[in-house]
Amino acid sequence: MAKDPLRTKFCEMMGIEFPIIAFTHCKDVAVSVINSGGFAVLGEAMHLPDQISADIQWIRDRIDGKPFGIDLVLPASSPMSESIDDMIAKIPERQQKFADEIAAKYDVPAPKSGHDLHNWGGLNQKMARDQLDVLLDEKVPLIASGLGSPAFILDAAHERDMLVFGLIGKTRQAKRQLEAGVDGIIAQGYDAAGHTGAMGTFSIVPEVVSIAGDTPVIAAGGITTGRHLAAALCLGASGVWTGTLWLASRESDIDMIIKERLIESTADDTDYSTCISGMTMRVLSCPWTKEWAKPEAPPPLPPPYQMLLSSAYIQGSNDARRADLMTEAAGQGVGFVTSMKPARQIVFDVVEEALDAFESLTGEPE
Amino acid sequence: MPKTDVARRGFDSEIAGRRAECDGGGLVPGTHYVAREEFTGTLTGDYVDHGDPPWRWLLMTDLVRRPDGFQADGVWCESESVFLVDERKSEPRSARSK
Repeated sequence: MAKDPLRTKFCEMMGIEFPIIAFTHCKDVAVSVINSGGFAVLGEAMHLPDQISADIQWIRDRIDGKPFGIDLVLPASSPMSESIDDMIAKIPERQQKFADEIAAKYDVPAPKSGHDLHNWGGLNQKMARDQLDVLLDEKVPLIASGLGSPAFILDAAHERDMLVFGLIGKTRQAKRQLEAGVDGIIAQGYDAAGHTGAMGTFSIVPEVVSIAGDTPVIAAGGITTGRHLAAALCLGASGVWTGTLWLASRESDIDMIIKERLIESTADDTDYSTCISGMTMRVLSCPWTKEWAKPEAPPPLPPPYQMLLSSAYIQGSNDARRADLMTEAAGQGVGFVTSMKPARQIVFDVVEEALDAFESLTGEPE
Repeated sequence: MPKTDVARRGFDSEIAGRRAECDGGGLVPGTHYVAREEFTGTLTGDYVDHGDPPWRWLLMTDLVRRPDGFQADGVWCESESVFLVDERKSEPRSARSK
């Protein structure tokens, strides 16, 4: 093979060895992947500006000048806001009764403290701007927008030699962001963890590649192996965006119970449902998702009301570390997460398998 | 980037009355999960510019498509997430056609 198939446009752009992006909420995973030749984007959407700043410094202290990214969620729509108490008062009796029945049936413990939802102020425009200000002040090498369009910050970022990538679920969103001048597009398919668009990864990636020109496109959704990486590059992607792949890694800070669940799970063990948040999202199956899928279940409420119902279940389960109840967002590639390896080993295994896949196709050694 | 909390309201007659779709969504409250929500409705022309450089949000009402159970009468949509679906007028700056 004349050319190293893993040496992509994204690798050249970032000065990295492998076109593997770890999207993670765990700083240790991020550092390990970066120091292994990959790239990492730390999810900071939930964090206050001071914490984001501290996390950036923590990472910088451990990666010897290598590049990294921070992911924020830029809201794209916002209903009229109400107080938590007002929202709780609006939960219909039928759905509240059903939630109470689930709690009784499975002996779901109450949260040890007021559940996190009571601490949220919603991610409003001001919060997002304050978070962005930190990234701009810190001159983070890459900003990824996990939802809304980052168009309005492009000039400010580019003035600071920062790159801006946008994550999209529809081709028209990619077109809009490309026209605005983003530096890269993360095209996320239906296979992904959490909320996704309706298009599968195999459909959306080449469609976005076809309109992206020289702008790198990163494939996301269900990618957990080297064969996935090879396939994504064959579709024209310049790299892969991976989340579930790292959840059970040795460095990952999620609960060991969830790691074990992930290792046991296959794609069939995820549910795509509105019963957690009121918005469709893919999570590991659990009693909550199973009960709401039954014919006798009432329809889940719209956001944020359904989250008010589910948050007591989720936090109570987590506080008590009830393996039979707990859940986590997971993509359909979870079936290939089969052991608790160090992140560095995961990087090398994915690379080796991708090279093997290319070799098997071409008959040539890499 | 200047740190300003200023939100400036305004009205754009060029988009008032236009039918549009919004690829909306945001962070799921209390979690690190992200969710998308889709709307179709009519832009009122009202907008709010947050901060500097301005981050423009458009008000959409008369919703004919909304997430199941969505109860509000209207929704604020980030302007780059709004896609005009009629062809009545020339394309405005803040909400381009598909």
